[in-house]
Formats: sequence, C-alpha cells, structure tokens
Amino acid sequence: MSANFAYLNARDLKFILKEWLPTEEIFAYPQYADYYSKEDLDSVLDPCLKMAKELIEPSNEDGDSHPCQFANGKVITPPTFGPLFHKLQEEGWGTSNIDDSEDAMVLPKVLLSAVWEMFLAANPTFLPYIILTCGAAELIRDFATEEVKEMFLPKMMDGSWSGTMCLTEPSAGSDVGDILSKAYPTDNPRIFRIKGSKMFITGGDNDFTENIVHLYLARIEGAKPGTKGISLFVVPKYWVNEDGSLSDNDVQTTGIEHKLGMYGSVTASLSFGENNGCRGWLLGANSMENDGVGEGMAQMFQMMNGARMETGHSALACIANAYYNARDYCKDRIQGRLITDPKSGRVTIINHEDIKRTLLMGKAHIEAMRAMMYRTYFAFDIKHNDLDPEKRQKASNLIEVTTPLCKAYPSDEAWWLIGEAIQAYGGYGYCEEYPVAQIARDVKIYSIWEGTNFIQSMDLVGRKWMMGKGAVFAEFLQEMRDFCEAHKATVEAAAGGEAGLPDLSLGKEFAILERALESYSQLQMAIGGYMGQKKVGMLPLYARRILTATSQLYAGRCILDQAVLASRKAQELGPDHYDYNFYIGKIMSAKYYLRNVVPNVWAVADIIKDGDCSALDIPIGAFDY
Amino acid sequence: MKVLVCVKQTFDTEAKIELKDGKINDAGINLIINPYDEVAVEGAIQLKEKGIATEVVIVSAGADKAMDAIRTALAMGADRGILVKQDSAADEYARAVALADAIKKENPDLILAGHVAADDGSSQVPTRIAEILGLPHVNVITSIEIAGGKATCTSEADGGTAVTEVSIPAVISSQVSWNEPRYPSMKGIMQAKKKPVATVDAIAVENKVKVLEFALPAGKTAGIKIEEDPDVAAAQMADWMKNTVKVEVK
Ligand SMILES: Cc1cc2nc3c(=O)[nH]c(=O)nc-3n(C[C@H](O)[C@H](O)[C@H](O)COP(=O)(O)OP(=O)(O)OC[C@H]3O[C@@H](n4cnc5c(N)ncnc54)[C@H](O)[C@@H]3O)c2cc1C
Repeated sequence: MSANFAYLNARDLKFILKEWLPTEEIFAYPQYADYYSKEDLDSVLDPCLKMAKELIEPSNEDGDSHPCQFANGKVITPPTFGPLFHKLQEEGWGTSNIDDSEDAMVLPKVLLSAVWEMFLAANPTFLPYIILTCGAAELIRDFATEEVKEMFLPKMMDGSWSGTMCLTEPSAGSDVGDILSKAYPTDNPRIFRIKGSKMFITGGDNDFTENIVHLYLARIEGAKPGTKGISLFVVPKYWVNEDGSLSDNDVQTTGIEHKLGMYGSVTASLSFGENNGCRGWLLGANSMENDGVGEGMAQMFQMMNGARMETGHSALACIANAYYNARDYCKDRIQGRLITDPKSGRVTIINHEDIKRTLLMGKAHIEAMRAMMYRTYFAFDIKHNDLDPEKRQKASNLIEVTTPLCKAYPSDEAWWLIGEAIQAYGGYGYCEEYPVAQIARDVKIYSIWEGTNFIQSMDLVGRKWMMGKGAVFAEFLQEMRDFCEAHKATVEAAAGGEAGLPDLSLGKEFAILERALESYSQLQMAIGGYMGQKKVGMLPLYARRILTATSQLYAGRCILDQAVLASRKAQELGPDHYDYNFYIGKIMSAKYYLRNVVPNVWAVADIIKDGDCSALDIPIGAFDY
Repeated sequence: MKVLVCVKQTFDTEAKIELKDGKINDAGINLIINPYDEVAVEGAIQLKEKGIATEVVIVSAGADKAMDAIRTALAMGADRGILVKQDSAADEYARAVALADAIKKENPDLILAGHVAADDGSSQVPTRIAEILGLPHVNVITSIEIAGGKATCTSEADGGTAVTEVSIPAVISSQVSWNEPRYPSMKGIMQAKKKPVATVDAIAVENKVKVLEFALPAGKTAGIKIEEDPDVAAAQMADWMKNTVKVEVK
C-alpha cells in the first residue's frame, strides 16, 4: 500500500487549456470574464497540483489501509476523508461550482475538470463523495421548486450535506425500468411517502456530513411500468423541518459491500420507509396527472450523463497516474544491457525498446483520451453559456455523441493498460508496496457503474447513431473528414527527418485517419445491412467493439489535431528550447496512436463485414464444456 | 495595524539547476514563493484573522515574473502588493536597500520575512533591512504575540527557546516551524486577480558582491564494488580508503 500521485507537472493540461482549445471564448462569458484569462490558468493549476500531492495523496493511502466499515448500523469512513471533504468543499473546489447565480464565483467546466483530474489521480476513491454531491445538487438546482432549492442547495454547496444517486435495486441494475421502489401521495402534492430498498449506493452513508440527500428513483403508485412511469424524488436521510432542524426520515443503512478495490468509498445498501416513516420531495410533474408517465428518467439522465463523463475521467486519471509512476520506476530500475550495445554495461530499463514502447503506448492513450474528453468538457461550457443557439446546439450534439465514448473507452482500456504498466515494473508491480497494484484494483469499477460499458455501446449504436434521423452522427463524421481535408496540404509540406532530428511530418498519420473514416462508413453500412435483413442480434453482438472503434477514430482525430499544433511549435522553438521535448513527445504520442491503435478501426470493420455469428449460434449448453 | 511581508520568488525546490553561458538557467523552471517567506505570509494572515492586523501588504523585489509570487500571497489572503522592479542579478545589499526604501514609504507597524531564501541561502536581507531602517530585529521566530506596542517573539535558541520582547515597528523573520502555510482557496485565487499591486522601480545602488563564477557541485564519483571474501575485501577496502580516497585518520 503506497499511493503515489506521480503527475510531475500539469504541462499537458496547460497545453490543452492554453494552447489547443480556444478557451478565450469561455473566459469571455460574463460569468467568468471578471476573473479569468488564459494567462491566469497557471495560478489555478499549479496550487492544485501541489494540493493533489500534499493534501489528497495521503488520504488515498489512508483509504486503502482503513477500508470503510459497517458496525451497529453505522458506517465508518477512513479518518482523513471527512476533514478532506469539508476542506475541499469549503474552499471552492467542489459543489459550490454548480452555483449559477449571477455573482457566483465558479470555475468553468473545462477548468474544473483539469483540477479534478489531478485530484482524481491523487485519490480516485475519495472524489465520488464530492462528484455525486455536485450531480445531486445540479438536479435540485434544475428541477426543484424554490422552496426545495432553498432547503437543500446552500447546505450541499458548502459541504455540510452530501448527495447520492439512487437507481440500483437488488433486482434492477442495468434495467432500471424494473425498479420496485414506490411513492405514495400525501396531503402535500409535492411530498410523497417513499418505500423501497436500494443497493450499491456510492456515498449512501457516511460519518462526516450532517445529512445525506438521496436523489431517488421510484414509481408513484399506479404509474406506468418500465422506465416511462418512473419519477425522481429528493429523499434526505434526515427530514428537514421548516425551522431548518433535522429529524429522522426512516432511512436505514443495512450493509456495505466488500469490494475488489475502492476501499475508501462506501457502497451501501439502504432501506427507505421500512417503518412507513420515509418522505421525499417530488421533482417535476406528478406522473398521475400525466397518464402515468413520469419525468424521472429524463431528469436522472442529466446526473447520469455528468457522472458518465466523470467515470471516464476517473479511469483516465488512474491510467495516467499508473503510467507516470511506471515511468519514474523505469528511469531508476537497472536491469539488463542494451541489445544494440551489449558491452556498454547495465542500463536503466527505460532504455530498453520494449519498455519505451510500453511507456509510449500508455502516454499515447492517455493523451488521445484526454484530448477527446476535454473537447467535450469545452462543449459543456459552450452549451451552458453561449448566446448563439446554433453554437449551443452544435456543442450539445457533440456532448450527446461523445458521452458514451468518454465513459466507456477510457474505462475499457484502463484494465489492460494498467496491466501493462504493472508489466513494466516486473515483479515489483505485482506487490502492494508499489502504487500500481492498488490502481489496478480501484480502476475496474469504472467499466461497470453508471451503466455498464455494454449499455454505453447500445446508447451509441442504438440512440446516438440515430439521433435527428442520423444527422447528428453524420455531422460528427463530416467534421472529421473536413479536418483531414483542411490539414492534409499543410502537413505534407511540414519539415521532417532532417539529420539527427525526429521526423515531424504527419502525412502518413492523416492517410491513416482518412482510411479509418472510410472503413467506419463501411462498418456502418454492414450493420445497416444486417438490420435490413432483420438480424437484430448483430447490433448488440458487435456494439462494444463498435464503441471502441468509434472512440479510436475520434481520439485519433483529436490527438492528430494536437500534433499539428505541436509540430508547428517544435519547429518554431528548435531543439535547444526547454519546451522542445514536450512538443516532440506530443508528436510521438500522435504517431504511436495513429499508426498502432487507429488501424483497429478497419480491423473491426473487416470483422463486422465478415459477420461471424459463432457467439450467437453457440448453444448455451455448449458452454458446459 | 499594518503588516508588511517581504517575499522572494525562488526556484521550485525540486527544480534541476543547470548552467547556461556561465549563469543559472531559469528557462522552463517552475518558480514559487520562497517557502520560508510563505510561512511569514501565513503568520501575517493569521494575525489578521485574529483581529490584530488590519492590512497585510506583500512586497517583493525582483523581475516582472515576481508578480506571480505576489499574486500567490494575495490568493492566500494578503490584501495588496508592491513589486519593486529590480534586476535579477541584484545582491543581498541592493535588495535590502530597495526593499527598505519601499517599506519606509509604507510606514508599517510590523515587517515579516522568511529568515533565509531557499535559493542563495544567505540569510541577510531581513537583518540588513532592520539595520537600514534602524528598527529592532528578531530572527527565526516560531511564534509571536502582539500587545501594547510590543512584539513578544519566541525563537529557537541553542538547546531551548528564547523569548524576546521588542517594540514595534520591528523586522521579524520566521522559522518554518512557526506554522503550516495554507493552500489558496478557489475564491482566494480569483480575488487575487482584482487586488491592487503597485509597481515601483528599485533605487539604483551598486552590488557589493561580485559573482566571479557559478559552478555546479561536483557529481558524486562512482564507488567501487569489491567482490571478494570478507577477509580479502576488508583489506582491499582499507587500502582503497587510504590510498585512493585518502581518508585522513586523526
Ligand atoms: C462499487 C459500486 C458502486 C455503485 N454505485 C452506484 C450508485 O451510486 N448508484 C446506483 O444507482 N448504482 C450504483 N452501482 C450499481 C451499478 O450501476 C450497477 O452495478 C450496474 O449498473 C450494473 O447493474 P448490475 O450490477 O445489476 O448488473 P446486471 O444488470 O445484472 O448486468 C450484468 C451483466 O449483464 C450485462 N447485461 C445486462 N443487461 C443486458 C442486456 N439487456 N443485454 C446484454 N447484456 C446485458 C451487463 O452489461 C453486465 O455485463 C454501483 C455498483 C458498484 C459495484
């Protein structure tokens, strides 16, 4: 057990925010204009890097060595978690950022995300307590009456109370429509009596906030079955009386899970209204006044979409921290001799070809995923602030299409990528004395919660491909074609491979992206063909691989865009400049990603065109052997 | 009560020092507030939080970049700043003269500083400022009480602590064990941008110190590995220590 936050600097985040994305557009919005300019970002990122190292990293060790416990009906969290929660909340790094009042001092999403990435890497187990409080508070902000907002928001924003999302029940996981939780009317049309039990609730209980505000899905008695009939309620652990005092609300913790990782994060089973004494506030319209149709799922999707982004981002932060740790180890560990110069004596392992490849594979994936994710975070700020409806719509479309990619791609790749970071350590990586073992345990959950990655894949091919009769996805693909067209000529002319200097040309990489785009069209046509033949099973059969290919295509476009900029900067600065290596590293990341990862897009297209159905044809009985 | 804190911008203590054209190369180096000065800033802010200080002013002598150090101190909670623009090659004497001049114009009730800078480690500037301004001076304090126009300072002394009472205004330098500097809050960082920082030129004086040369410490020379049985190895080791390393036995 030896957590270690190994971000040496925030250089790539600064590149994204100060050089690559046009963040000046965001900082010009009235809410931020008084406080920020691109030049000021170091004053936010540098102290946060320091806080991640000095303040948050120690809590990660604490969480792993003092797992959450459940005794006498009460949850005990790791000792450092409560004080850290209050400190970050009180000092403006958490839920206060959801404040949309005119004079609120808040960070734009794209900047807060950069701060959170460092915090997540320093302790991925801790951050959900804050992230879920933000998501829950945002739902109240957007859907509650003034009375309910006033009751809950100030206390959630200052960290006195925390929040959760309560969807899952013992018999309803992926299929939320099957929930059994019920809501019964009372004399007050906004207040319902709640009865049901939830499980796997992250932060469902704790010993450091005065109250816990559950955003709770239930069906009002008599409403339609399935997801249609579901409504959303604010169900506090302690009922808030008119004078602000708290009283029991019949919410009990019945147990917590013992998990593969994430020891510091409470995963609680909760029972609501066992003694008929639980009440909750309804958000939005009463389903019984709307043909039994509730607004709950649509409302909850707002929180889920946010949480899906944060899930992918958590996976990315874990991958990055694993590889930054591995890099440091490989610079120290002496083993073996150079294959190209065996007589020169023993070397640090970072000099070996296969270790360099492993580290660049990690770096390339991290930077490609990061580029993809921050482009979406940037779109969030446009969507929330821009006055031009067309621009807002475009941003919204990008968010819709890329949310499943941002959730599932990093969390799918994290497991094997962190496995490879362990591999770079050799035997020491398998030992708890080094930090990568814990990262591997903690990271697995991200492909499962917030909708498994299969659910994300179906969201992509079932909903996002079809949005606006396919126009939204067509626009997404067309943007990538336009990107290739716009840059092809310039990159072909770029300098490259002069004596002793690395090859900075990107012509080959653009050709690969174009070929991948072409393959992707064929892939979609093949799936279209199967659907035309009513072979519906082909869609879920290939969905996860399609999501991976889509992400690789898009992340390839994003990192190649960064490389175009880096190539220009590297040529301007020249090899003697202190920042030259950053830009060269960026170009090498792009080259690795395009030449070694993106070709999977046509491999997947070929497999889908071939249309192997063995996994559909195999009788279930054949799995017995 | 107005408290003024002298702050120097230094290299990040983790930075790798390199020489270029005979000078220390600061390209690409992360610059921070001298950690000892950060303690003085925290001490001043705590005095304000206790209602003893009414205003905390940060003063830094240095190049334009030193503005970042001032902003960091403002983000922690100081009220305003003064950047005394001065060539980065100024020595401790020239720094003290420039700072003393700016301090005099502010007429503060208390002047705080770190007792040493993490870069050149010369521990001269606060003492020189006190001398130039003719003010009492206490070094390496670990706590301070202000009452009745006096500062009662506790500092580390050989094998114990010393308690010194001085009239204020006085120049007082901090030891790191005084307190733990806070991290700036998000609001603190945002507000820092709007807090006033005046820029003045340093009064021109000649350095008293002339730097002849910068040199990096000699790298550690490789050790030897003796792979023999212990009796032979001990003899070889003794021989190596005596004749190669030339360890003197007194
Ligand atoms: C540590 C942890 C924290 C959690 N935190 C929360 C929380 O805060 N709030 C909350 O509400 N929930 C939470 N969950 C629950 C989580 O979201 C669910 O576990 C997840 O959605 C999957 O549901 P399930 O476990 O019931 O699996 P199942 O739904 O039973 O799925 C099992 C497998 O079958 C697949 N599958 C399911 N249906 C289909 C289908 N129709 N077609 C093809 N494949 C299918 C799934 O992809 C999965 O691989 C948490 C879970 C864990 C482990």
